[in-house]
Amino acid sequence: MRAFTVEDDGTVSAVLAIDEVAILVDLTGQISDLLQENPQDDDALRRLLPDAYPDDRAASAEFRRFTAPGLLDRKSATASVILSTLSNSNAARAESGLGAEAPTIVRLDPQQAQSWLTALGDLRLVIAARLGIVKDGDEGEPGAVMTEVYDWLGYVQGSLVEAMDQA
Amino acid sequence: MPQTLERTELRENTVLNTLWVTIVWNDPVNLMNYVSFVFRSYFGFSKEEAEHKMLQVHNEGRSVVATGPREAMERHVEAMHGYGLLATVAKADV
Repeated sequence: MRAFTVEDDGTVSAVLAIDEVAILVDLTGQISDLLQENPQDDDALRRLLPDAYPDDRAASAEFRRFTAPGLLDRKSATASVILSTLSNSNAARAESGLGAEAPTIVRLDPQQAQSWLTALGDLRLVIAARLGIVKDGDEGEPGAVMTEVYDWLGYVQGSLVEAMDQA
Repeated sequence: MPQTLERTELRENTVLNTLWVTIVWNDPVNLMNYVSFVFRSYFGFSKEEAEHKMLQVHNEGRSVVATGPREAMERHVEAMHGYGLLATVAKADV
């Protein structure tokens, strides 16, 4: 991957290897499913919809009842922006006549970049919950594929923040 | 008149009770530059202020990022949850 950089027109762009695109599509698809299924007892989903009143169960439940539908809808919408922009990038790559293994250029306008930013964050939160990363110092299982994916997503998100900072 | 005094006291108590805060808590997942970016873009904090609040979250475990009526604080917390940050509503220490 070539990290995100800012372009003259205010868009940000990165270059992703074909495998990296596949990973992002797969994970984003999984998170979209999770958001739609909305299982109440899922650790990752609890992390996406945390208690607003940690010392007051009833108030937290009430808050969640009012905010969860909208939050889940918006999280689904931002996840779908990742899928649609990657699909467009793949189409552009195919049209350019480059080989099937050629890297994909992802270019995002400010609004798309904002969606990517939060969706990448949601992906990391869900994976962290699966890896048992709950307090500072937790790093997941060293060398495990999911741990490496988690770290890579952090690199992608971090480079996107830096590029957006300069836009 | 005693009655009026009582009413005034009651109103003052109500006013004090309506001050709430939005707290953002440390978590091991969200990147420091992301948290700082969210504080700037959502709350409109200056770069320095956003950095200060972010470091407070990181080093002290939490930071009060807004104070005001309960409904407004709940809107902020909902927005923070949208960004994936751990945020809660609490009564302000008066």
